[in-house]
Amino acid sequence: MKIERSELGKKAGELKAQGYSYLVKITAVDYEKYIEVVYMLRNLSENRDETLEVDVDPADAWVPTVIREFPAADWYEREMFEMFGIEIKGREARRLLLEKWNGKPAPLRKNFVWNAPYETSD
Amino acid sequence: MPITSIVSGYLHLSGTLATAADTIAYAVAISILIVAFDYVFGWLERKTIAKIQKRHGPTYAGKYGILQNMADFVKLLSKEHVAPKRADGLLFLSTIPIMLALTIFLVFLLPLAPTLLETNLGFGLLVVFVLLSFMPLIIFANGFGSGNKFAAISAQRSVVMLLSYEIPLIFVIASVGALAGSYNLASVVNAQSQWWFALLMPIGFVVFFVAMLAELERPPFDIREADNELIAGWLTDVSAPYYVLALFLDYSRMFLGSLLIAILFFGGWSGPLLPPVVWLLIKVFVISFFIMVIRATMVRMRIDRLLRFGWTWLLPLSLINLILTYLVFIG
Amino acid sequence: MVTRINIGPVHPSTHGVLRLVADVDGDTVVNLEPHIGFLHRGVEKLVETRMYMQNPPYMEKLDYIAPMSYDDAYVATVEKAMGVEVKERAMWVRTVLLELQRIASHLLWLGTMANDVGQFFTVFMWAFTDRDMVMRLLEEASGARMFYVNMRIGGLIRDLPPGFGEKAGEVLAYIEKRIKKYENFLEKDPLFTERMKGIGVLSRERAIELGVTGPVLRGSGVGYDVRKNNAYYVYDKLNFRPQTRSDGDCFARYKVRMLEMAESIRLVREALAKMPEGDALGMPIKLILPSAKNRMVSLSRETPRGECLMYMVADSQKPYRLSIRAPTFINLAAMPEISRGCRTADIFAISGSLDLVMGDVDR
Repeated sequence: MKIERSELGKKAGELKAQGYSYLVKITAVDYEKYIEVVYMLRNLSENRDETLEVDVDPADAWVPTVIREFPAADWYEREMFEMFGIEIKGREARRLLLEKWNGKPAPLRKNFVWNAPYETSD
Repeated sequence: MPITSIVSGYLHLSGTLATAADTIAYAVAISILIVAFDYVFGWLERKTIAKIQKRHGPTYAGKYGILQNMADFVKLLSKEHVAPKRADGLLFLSTIPIMLALTIFLVFLLPLAPTLLETNLGFGLLVVFVLLSFMPLIIFANGFGSGNKFAAISAQRSVVMLLSYEIPLIFVIASVGALAGSYNLASVVNAQSQWWFALLMPIGFVVFFVAMLAELERPPFDIREADNELIAGWLTDVSAPYYVLALFLDYSRMFLGSLLIAILFFGGWSGPLLPPVVWLLIKVFVISFFIMVIRATMVRMRIDRLLRFGWTWLLPLSLINLILTYLVFIG
Repeated sequence: MVTRINIGPVHPSTHGVLRLVADVDGDTVVNLEPHIGFLHRGVEKLVETRMYMQNPPYMEKLDYIAPMSYDDAYVATVEKAMGVEVKERAMWVRTVLLELQRIASHLLWLGTMANDVGQFFTVFMWAFTDRDMVMRLLEEASGARMFYVNMRIGGLIRDLPPGFGEKAGEVLAYIEKRIKKYENFLEKDPLFTERMKGIGVLSRERAIELGVTGPVLRGSGVGYDVRKNNAYYVYDKLNFRPQTRSDGDCFARYKVRMLEMAESIRLVREALAKMPEGDALGMPIKLILPSAKNRMVSLSRETPRGECLMYMVADSQKPYRLSIRAPTFINLAAMPEISRGCRTADIFAISGSLDLVMGDVDR
């Protein structure tokens, strides 16, 4: 299900109310023109999956957090921020998770330069 | 001529000089005995636990890997000694040798045979346990002195553990003293010529054995150096040469503990046919072996659980034991 | 007074390179923060530069305790992207191999778990020896002892060797006896049950919210198992029941895995008995070309550690993007919450009961 960035929080809340309370994964795909952020939700009692897809502009990459609806989003969002440079708005900034990667562009973006000098934080 | 005066007899000494020479000779003999026990038992423990765990244990160095411990010993001695920067030098370096010396001294105080009563103190039993209670405090000093957080936790645990097993231990000793009518260790052994105290007061024996396991840091009470929680506890920052001493200390304490159990509850040197010292060593070996098998099978206790165990089980049981002993055998 | 202790990354019982920073007040854990990434190899980026069938070895090294399950999850994702049907016999063989892998993985977990609560290597060595028997079976089927690379598109690299069924039967009968023995040995030990029962409780609601998977989720009373709820291969033709426990503590997670082992043994036996004759060989590596460009595929597999979800955007030669939902990653994310308020010694019981594999967490 493709949705707009602005209605993500609302939609996530609605789906949670419908029983989609289990967050399977948050991931992203860099299609170069846009970055697609994918939220995979699951309704455990009815055994159904639902996918929310949000397209963001690579130059202005941010999404609102869903950590209030889905506490499981914590580490996924941190991973996304580190790997895709997608800023998560509405939650406190946390330590980088995997690589302590601070450089630009983020590692999993398609314009990432292999073997470039980089710096890490922490 | 008693065995203990062989040296002075050979050198034709008399008076204080003779006593001094005999004491030193005896101390050296005890040290050699302890080192031999440490060596053999270190090997035996590796082999037995390996057998229990379906492994082979050491096989390369020497026949059945008997020289493996020697190889480890040499390797550890050849390593560099590194003291952590934050460690308090004196506390950190002096405590392990002091503990080893204390252990050997305690064995020195114990009667190994009727003819080997070098220091037959009238209140030997009390002296031994008072000195033994210093061990956790020295460990505490070492752990705090090493400047490592894991060692500090271990140090605190060692004092907390002291609270849980020390009082029951004292009660059991009191009942042993009451039963033997004396705190003299030789009298305790002689009082068991008919029945072992382990049979006369089984509750007391169980409490003593459990408390002794805690005292010796053997599983399931190896909370101080719990290797998968605290890395090596108070030994975390101890580097190779001192670690050799710590290993010797470990087995020496096991020897001491088994010796105490054998003397207080299994009739010490008494036994038919064989010489008394051999009987005592056989008993020590069997008890140590048992302690070793416990190591391979038990799960470690948690520190708060040990405290609860100590106060709700060991203490009442030791009191019951004291009262029963008084009622049945004395009163 | 709150003290901060740093546990790991070099520590005897963090199962690799996990670093835990624990704030303890006395003996009680106030806060716990896992620091991960020491084994991060950037596999998700790496696979974007490799052709499809060059990737299974990378996938296997993620979860090095249960490599076959990752091998299968990846190859099945590529199959789905290509629209290739798996041969009938290959599906049965894969089921057998995956369940054997699950037994091997759980056996290793059992040993390390016992170690973490302070058992001095006895159960560890026993379970390790038994695991080796299962691994010898897998070696016979695939040719490699640990990293199998056994799956091919549409089938397997080779069929099961002749006489595999009898050998597997013998090994399974032995393992079944051994599992009973371990249960006896551990559960009759009051010290063990004490260290496990009521420790690290994760309630059903919280387990769903935190998104934990696999035995951790089932130990909290949620009966979700991909093999049942989203059955793949021949699990729907077998008589399979997911194992659940409702307590949500370390002991429940332990028990779920023990029951799963028994269940896997049963599944392998049933699958070996029902297995049809036929061809199980897969396609040669060079014939691989997913038909559609930029096609999204997502696929779930129940690995021994939980649900592994592969989200792949397929390209003609290489994956355009492969996102892996590692089961232990999200289980570890729940650890701060599980271990809040526990004793310091219980941190290790909890991390053991989560069955962490750092290669899988860090990817």
